[in-house]
Amino acid sequence: MSNYFNTLPLREKLNQLGVCDFMESNEFLDGVSALKGKKLVIVGCGAQGLNQGLNLRDSGLDVSYTLRKEAIEGKRDSWKNATENNFKVGTYEELIPTADVVINLTPDKQHTAVVNAIMPLMKDGATLLYSHGFNIVEEGMQIRKDLTVIMVAPKCPGSEVRAEYVRGFGVPTLIAVHPENDPQGKGLAQAKAYAVGTGGHRAGVLKSSFVAEVKSDLMGEQTILCGLLQTGSILSFDKMVEKGIDAGYASKLVQYGVEVITEALKQGGITAMVDRLSNVAKIKAFEISEELKDIMRPLFQKHQDDIMSGEFSRIMMEDWANGDKNLLAWRAETGETAFEKTPAGDVKIGEQEYFDNYLLMVAFVRAGVELAFETMVQAGIKPESAYYESLHETPLIANTIARKKLFEMNRVISDTAEYGCYLFDQACKPLLADFMKKVDTDLVGKNFNEGKDGGVDNRKLIDVNEAIRSHEVEQIGATLRKAMTAMKAIKTA
Amino acid sequence: MRESFVSIQDLTLKYQQKSVLKNLNWTINTGEQYVLFGESGSGKTSLAKIIAGLQSAIGEVKINFSNESDLPAEVLFVESWYQFKNLEGVANFYYQQRYTSQQAKDTLTVHAELVSYGKEKGLHLDQVEHILEALNFSSFASSQLIELSSGEHKKLQLVKALWLKPQLLIIDQPYTGLDAASRRNLNILLDEVAESGVQLILISNDTELPNSVNRFAEIKDGKISVSDSRVVTSVSAEKHLKEIPDFLKESPVYSSQDIVKMVDVNIIYGEKQVLKNINWEVKAGEKWLLQGHNGSGKSTLLSLVNGDHPQSYANELYLFGNRRGSGESIWDIKQHIGLISPEFHWYFDASATVWQSIASGFYDTVGLFQQLPYSKSQQVDELVAYFGLTENKNELLISLPLGKQRLVLLARTIIKNPELLILDEPCQGLDQQQTQHFNQLVDELCSNGMTLIYVGHFESQLPTCIEKRILLEKGEVKAVENLNIEILS
Repeated sequence: MSNYFNTLPLREKLNQLGVCDFMESNEFLDGVSALKGKKLVIVGCGAQGLNQGLNLRDSGLDVSYTLRKEAIEGKRDSWKNATENNFKVGTYEELIPTADVVINLTPDKQHTAVVNAIMPLMKDGATLLYSHGFNIVEEGMQIRKDLTVIMVAPKCPGSEVRAEYVRGFGVPTLIAVHPENDPQGKGLAQAKAYAVGTGGHRAGVLKSSFVAEVKSDLMGEQTILCGLLQTGSILSFDKMVEKGIDAGYASKLVQYGVEVITEALKQGGITAMVDRLSNVAKIKAFEISEELKDIMRPLFQKHQDDIMSGEFSRIMMEDWANGDKNLLAWRAETGETAFEKTPAGDVKIGEQEYFDNYLLMVAFVRAGVELAFETMVQAGIKPESAYYESLHETPLIANTIARKKLFEMNRVISDTAEYGCYLFDQACKPLLADFMKKVDTDLVGKNFNEGKDGGVDNRKLIDVNEAIRSHEVEQIGATLRKAMTAMKAIKTA
Repeated sequence: MRESFVSIQDLTLKYQQKSVLKNLNWTINTGEQYVLFGESGSGKTSLAKIIAGLQSAIGEVKINFSNESDLPAEVLFVESWYQFKNLEGVANFYYQQRYTSQQAKDTLTVHAELVSYGKEKGLHLDQVEHILEALNFSSFASSQLIELSSGEHKKLQLVKALWLKPQLLIIDQPYTGLDAASRRNLNILLDEVAESGVQLILISNDTELPNSVNRFAEIKDGKISVSDSRVVTSVSAEKHLKEIPDFLKESPVYSSQDIVKMVDVNIIYGEKQVLKNINWEVKAGEKWLLQGHNGSGKSTLLSLVNGDHPQSYANELYLFGNRRGSGESIWDIKQHIGLISPEFHWYFDASATVWQSIASGFYDTVGLFQQLPYSKSQQVDELVAYFGLTENKNELLISLPLGKQRLVLLARTIIKNPELLILDEPCQGLDQQQTQHFNQLVDELCSNGMTLIYVGHFESQLPTCIEKRILLEKGEVKAVENLNIEILS
């Protein structure tokens, strides 16, 4: 198998990268009818598998699960999840031949093996549904020509997919049809119906392509989402300890700070996030984030280039073949960092204090979101896709850090994201060494406003506001967020 | 002269310009066991929180803890609202969640919760056994927190409080959600802790109280008046003066006379059978009372009717004439039903305003996600006025006292004039007058042909229209009978 994207002529590469259409609610008036009466068989019953299946069945569709023989005979958790909720469960041989739509919700790493096992069993003209395009685009999996290949990717963890559905809403969802596999032209109608079945149509659906989804998803998760949050968190913690701030306080500020800060980001973009700072602090955050952007730009570009060329996937798949040697070593290392080992102190930190005392993270987030967005758009990815894979997902990842720090974040995200995160983190730390030498506790650990009179130059403040507000990620964000206002805030202590 | 244990002076609390407590003075002497009562919204809960140091106000609160006592020198306030988190520290649950079977365990078990509480407070596990038994709660040790009903969560809070025995124990609505037997046993347990030196403040409008209670404090117009016996403020028996909005006078149009039909329905989690061979039919226009002890399976039974239970699909169940699992969506089912339950209230969207909460009843959603057509928004306004909520309509639901929140959700339940009303302990948190008024409203709605399933533990507080009863015991139907409401009261 060879990398699908690299087999395309430039024209077609650009064409597929550029598929991006934020769909209007009137495009979903047919509801689930394109899937009504069809047999939907889900492969795998983990968090995404179970919760999507529950939603689809509650939308009136016929859902069953297929699992590997060992999982059924061993009565593993996936088997229990499915049977105890009264779903029909069977082996590949029993259920795949009857399926009109086979939904592959197994982890990336297993895709090749799973698809090779199920494809010969699928009936003529059936549909294969993915929730991530890695297997098709990066591994170049070839699907039988009579089969339709579509993608439906809810942009939230499985538990949220269910929670939002039962309250009558949904989560933002990305759909796509693989142009090489749409023999009957039914792909889009089925993908839309599936999005209705899981409730996604109420929260906004973005029509994308397998290529655009993979290239933007990889870029987002490696840079701003996981990579930069990891690097920024560890550097911030170490700096505070070095400067004599209480380690328990530092640990708490870093663990929960990123979540509090990005909650503002979620609701009102970078503008809302920096507006939580005083005027003096905002100008400072702007200045150092500009500096951070200049320092990190080459690294963001390298990640995007390696993703586009397939180099990233190549080395990661080498590690897969090597028993995940690098991944496991890095994972163990993260578990051993001082930040990870220091429990959050029993101190109360007020909501505003998280902004005032953690200005450095505000600067990191602004720099990272804008850089990731800019780099993706320069590479031919449309702004809407770039927005989802940068700004939109940052608070979701921040939430995992608040739960149980970086180790938890890396456990929750996919192995693919985790691998990219480590590549970024290792390259980024040395890049920031000189910058971090200049950082003192006014930027991280203590209130930046302390000892300042708060006065600013009008002209300067106007320029800074203008620069932040007129950025393209803010323009597109304002439009897309309108569709998602009803999403429930995820709250932690 | 007896030593004063709690002394409160000149306490003043304002909430959004309105005075809730006005220069309130209250002295509680050692050995006095109080019941604190008053109308919904009179400030009972706020006062309790201030005493417990959970809320601040202007004025002085002094508590003279005893140094000689073995009991912990602390105030414990047991909220009428329970809060728990999953293992990752998040409290983002939804009310249907406990019906779904998931192998990844999200929350602690009751036993693990008690072990961790005991460790935190330095308590011995052997001392909690008899409390668990008295409240009929021992069998829940291995249940996860998410699996508990509201009555069971209430018991867990009570178990912890009775186990800790703080010098001052304040319980907000100790009896809500408890069945009659549990209420009686709770009173015995409260007498026991009072005997051992715990001082009680029970916030309750109920009349069946522990024997140890010897003082009554009524909070009215921001002040406290104390007496040795309950001054019975006569509940005006007058008919509700306001006329119900016209759109609620229309009789429902039934597509089928069979509202609910269950044939040998079984619900099982792993080894545990929650419902066993249930057979039950509800015909259009019938008014049912559903009863049973805490844990007898009432909420599970109702979740089947409301389309919320994942195991509906493997059972022989018919709703509104259609076999469940024949291609309908849960939204097709819910559009016929107006539902309220303690769990539904507990998990309701905290970010919705009063108006939005009521309007969301048209779409059966938790929170409002769409623009209302003009005629429907008129109806919301009419109902807001009918319930006396006009001045609160743009406030966040969560900012109101619990009783008012409940009124809002009751309005949400009836806004679409549904064919079937499912009222699972609808009047929790309401005072006697509000309860009476609401039940009169239910009677009036039902006289137009609406179908009713009503759950209530307090037999004196039921609508008069009820004509049939189904009684559950340990997941089985114990009795189905026609009844005359007089038999009950």
